[in-house]
Amino acid sequence: MKLLKIGISGVRGIVGETITPELVMDFACAFGTSLDEGRVLIARDTRPSGPMLHKAVLSALVSTGCDVLDLGVCPTPVLQALVHKLRAKGGIAISAGHNNAAWNALTFINRDGTYLNDFQGEEVLDIYHLERFRKAPLSRLGKVKSQESFLGSYFKRLAAFLDRPAIAAAGFKVVIDPCNGAGAGIVDLFCRALGCGLVPVNNEPSGFFPHDPEPRPRNAAEVSSIVRISGADAGFLLSSDVSRVSVVAEDGETLSEEYTFPIVASRRLEKEPGPIVTNLSTSRMIEDVAAKYACPVIKAKVGQSHVIQALLSEEGSIAGEGSGGVAVRSFQPAFDGFLAMGLVLEAMAAGRKKLSGLVQELPKYHIVKEKIYCPPSRVHSVMDGVEKLFEKDGPSLIDGIKVEGPDGWVHVRASGTEPMIRVVSENRSKEKAQEDLDRLTAFIAQLV
Amino acid sequence: MNKRLSLKISISGVRGVVGDSLTPQLAARFAAAFGTYVGRGKVVVGRDARPSGEMLMDAVFSGLLAAGCQPVAIGICPIPSALVFTKESRALGGIVVTASHNPKEWNGLKFLSRRGLYLTAAEVEEFMDIYHQGEFSFAAADKQRPILLEEDPAGLHLAKLLSSLDVEAIRKKRFRVAADCCNGAGAILLPAFLEALGCRTVFLNTTPDGTFAHQSEPIPENLVELCRQVKEAGADIGFAQDADADRLAVIDEKGEALGEEMTLALAVQYILAKEPGPVVVNLSTTRAIDDMARKAGVPVYRTKIGETNVVEEVIRRKAAIGGEGNGGVIWPRVHTCRDSFAAIGLILEALAAFGKPVSALAREVPHYVMIKDKIPGTPEEARRILGRLKKAYAKEDISTLDGLKINFGDAWVHIRPSNTEPIIRILAEARTEDETRRLLDEFKTKLGSNLTLTAA
Repeated sequence: MKLLKIGISGVRGIVGETITPELVMDFACAFGTSLDEGRVLIARDTRPSGPMLHKAVLSALVSTGCDVLDLGVCPTPVLQALVHKLRAKGGIAISAGHNNAAWNALTFINRDGTYLNDFQGEEVLDIYHLERFRKAPLSRLGKVKSQESFLGSYFKRLAAFLDRPAIAAAGFKVVIDPCNGAGAGIVDLFCRALGCGLVPVNNEPSGFFPHDPEPRPRNAAEVSSIVRISGADAGFLLSSDVSRVSVVAEDGETLSEEYTFPIVASRRLEKEPGPIVTNLSTSRMIEDVAAKYACPVIKAKVGQSHVIQALLSEEGSIAGEGSGGVAVRSFQPAFDGFLAMGLVLEAMAAGRKKLSGLVQELPKYHIVKEKIYCPPSRVHSVMDGVEKLFEKDGPSLIDGIKVEGPDGWVHVRASGTEPMIRVVSENRSKEKAQEDLDRLTAFIAQLV
Repeated sequence: MNKRLSLKISISGVRGVVGDSLTPQLAARFAAAFGTYVGRGKVVVGRDARPSGEMLMDAVFSGLLAAGCQPVAIGICPIPSALVFTKESRALGGIVVTASHNPKEWNGLKFLSRRGLYLTAAEVEEFMDIYHQGEFSFAAADKQRPILLEEDPAGLHLAKLLSSLDVEAIRKKRFRVAADCCNGAGAILLPAFLEALGCRTVFLNTTPDGTFAHQSEPIPENLVELCRQVKEAGADIGFAQDADADRLAVIDEKGEALGEEMTLALAVQYILAKEPGPVVVNLSTTRAIDDMARKAGVPVYRTKIGETNVVEEVIRRKAAIGGEGNGGVIWPRVHTCRDSFAAIGLILEALAAFGKPVSALAREVPHYVMIKDKIPGTPEEARRILGRLKKAYAKEDISTLDGLKINFGDAWVHIRPSNTEPIIRILAEARTEDETRRLLDEFKTKLGSNLTLTAA
């Protein structure tokens, strides 16, 4: 089976199978056509397939008459900030984020610096399917410029947004693992901007991923042992595009990526209360945090595009997902790993607490996840089967099937990025969470 | 079919109009097909100075990378230098983004073999099969390789030129040279080359940005400014390269453009004196070549039009020199390709060896007048007309190797459809301009009435 995922926020697939120069060019042409000429920013992560997609995107945008400002290797949240700051027409991020090295992807950024909304995304898809690409004549071909130093202004703004004096005064030492991705080398600037000491791990922008670039405990063994050996105050893992973060406590405990959002949200709501946006699959921890500050929780479909659209339309304060992505509306409407790390450090500094202390303040839930391979052609019938199973429990059907109970919930949905069905189970009781997950996984496996 | 097609896929590669037929997608597809054809190794990628070159080069990079090749980027580079580099760097092949003398809206891709030559007809056929089947060998993410940047792609070519020429003899003369690079790729190498030959120089249009200062074809009407410069600077000679630096036009010391047929004639004249050997030219090249070769006692072999055809014959016949009447000189000692630098070197060496001004050398070349003309016409129209003319002239001395060439004593006419544009070319040559004009008009009238018949 060939893996290709086309959605409103872009296109994602396996390099050499579905991700070919022509497909990439067709999508970039469709995006360029949807904008009126004007300037588009592009950036990539460090994956070895990056140059192939990068050249294809450059060439395609130029052919539609869009000028290109090429940032080269650059974290996606920084690209998003620059699109907004430079008043560009849009951006294209070349990165498959948390997916392994076989993958790559294009993500389209609109002029506000956010993922495309449903209308914009559908327009691009319509143009793609109709192949109605604008072909600029020679005199109107786009011009390409490279921009080398764009990080300074970003980190200056980040430091100003955070309580930099408090963070610097705390004299933190942090371990960061950018997985040799787009954050490699740049995390040094992050630490300098906030006055922290850095112990870097996998900090070469080589694109060689020593583990999958997905921030989660499974990939955190190296960071955990270095945190303990070096006596660091915190450890962080980044996705290859620096949109997601998971956290390792000072005692070396590798925390589920579910913890990033509630830790950050507690700190932000203290400073700026307001509605919280999350998705249906995120830990109930966030609802307890919201309740503490009497803020409403809005639930959107899974995926940065949906969550950010809700953040903007509901004028929320903060948005996040259990995958480790967090956005603060007053900073920028984009999942931003630098901001998330900064807010974790700010929470530690402001409360004069250790990271493990912040974790202990959060309600105890146990969240377990599983994904089951399912060919796209089977997804509908499998989901129908699951829906029947829960018929009498009054499931929520906004995004897949979610069933809530007094102490926990289960959520089943088809992945937006892989041919997988994802099952998430959370409960106050560890055993119950696992039991629900196992039962549901077995049921689905049998349907597949 | 009245609409002119703006895409040409032929033995000499792909050409099309940017913003119309020549899209990044098309270029990437051809590059991926080429990568599949040559295999997963180094592939040299260069371009001429056209403004659309970078966009298409990026598309080519993408296609090659996807096929698991390692592109070697040589940037804006004279075509002969790119060919020499491809051969000497042991790459598996090369792609050059160029449309040589076509108008600036056009661009194209030319494909090079590991020998540093354009693909032969047989090789093009194999490669085109892969393109048309669309089954490209794409590499997985872990097989992708980075692009290599070559800083001095013309260096190998320069070294070859200098080791093939009598540099000392040329240096001693301290020639005063005016040169026009047409803001093309030649500007990358010509200043260094002429300096190595000890020339005192005046340069025109040496910014390789593709803003052609004049039409890039090096024919007399495009060389007015250079002629003026030759006179003003009191130069011994003037040289004009075309945009990709494979063809050359020569201006004599009086500031007179000698006509593009004279470039090859001067080079052949010198080689026949220095190291006589077989000469290979195409059907449309001046008869002066035959006259000079006969005197030197060496054979002349005529080929179909198209550089590849001449080059293959040069190799087969182990020719001392070859070329085309359009200013393309092939000197195998440097490399078997049209090379304006080799032509410049040979002509300067001739000036030094014969100790005569270039106008005198040109006068010693047997005198013919050639006129080139063209009329609009698709290949299909051309085929029908030529069919009728072949029958009508069956009793004359004709060649149907490429279109139709009819020899009349010391005059000839050659009619053929262009490979790259929807036009029919018509060339005539005779001893005097009047005679040539009469011949040309006679055949244009014949073609015109036939075209009218076709249209009706």
